[in-house]
Amino acid sequence: MDNSSAEQDCLSRPPWQKVSADFAGVYQKHSRAIYYLSLRFLGDEQKAEDATHDVFLKAFRRLDQFRGEASVRTWLYRIAINHCQNLCSSWHNRHVLASSDDAVWETATAKTDSPLRVLETKELGQRIQKTLDALPDEYRLLLLLVADEELSYEEIAALVGQSADAVRGKLHRARKVFAAHFQKTS
Amino acid sequence: MKQQTKLSENKEHVAEQQTQSDPAKEFASSDELLRFDAAQTTVPPGIAQRLQKSAAEIRPATSRSWWKNVFGG
Repeated sequence: MDNSSAEQDCLSRPPWQKVSADFAGVYQKHSRAIYYLSLRFLGDEQKAEDATHDVFLKAFRRLDQFRGEASVRTWLYRIAINHCQNLCSSWHNRHVLASSDDAVWETATAKTDSPLRVLETKELGQRIQKTLDALPDEYRLLLLLVADEELSYEEIAALVGQSADAVRGKLHRARKVFAAHFQKTS
Repeated sequence: MKQQTKLSENKEHVAEQQTQSDPAKEFASSDELLRFDAAQTTVPPGIAQRLQKSAAEIRPATSRSWWKNVFGG
């Protein structure tokens, strides 16, 4: 097979076959993002490790369902979000605040324009986790997704099933609430 | 006595230097803070090994090659 026909063959392959051919590369490129989301969403290292394994295994099993309409990263995030939300669903109603009602949060949003100051970086993870645990699931998820520079607002909106404008509005509130809670953890 | 004082002064100086090596950081936003946190996070190597095993159980013939390339075994 000459070069041009090899290229043609590669181009004509369905997206899932391209992913399948380099699944280890996919793991290497995206595992940190998936592990980090799982870690901060679930708040437990062992659960995050199990979740990351399960997410990539599910992706591997469902390779033929990858159509290439979204990026591989977005596809993996979708599996991860569903997986983490399913894990949380059993205790969700008992542990999460009843709603993300602004009235609950506005009282805690004073002085949120100042920078977030960290004295000990080794304690940073604990403070971030404590802060995220205090937020409604929706805010926590949006903050974690928007922190990934590879995702656009449109991709985040598609992942959470909302419009990009709605995501921007909620993110504005989520950032304020995060900053207020984070300052309290110092 | 003088030497002891010097020694304790030196210890204080070392302690001060250690404190300085982990300086306070400021983040302009939660996005920046979370990005920093994500960059500091290491993926446990055990996940790749477990995946390699699990994938081999699903498709022994095809899965082996790509995991082998990167993770060995």
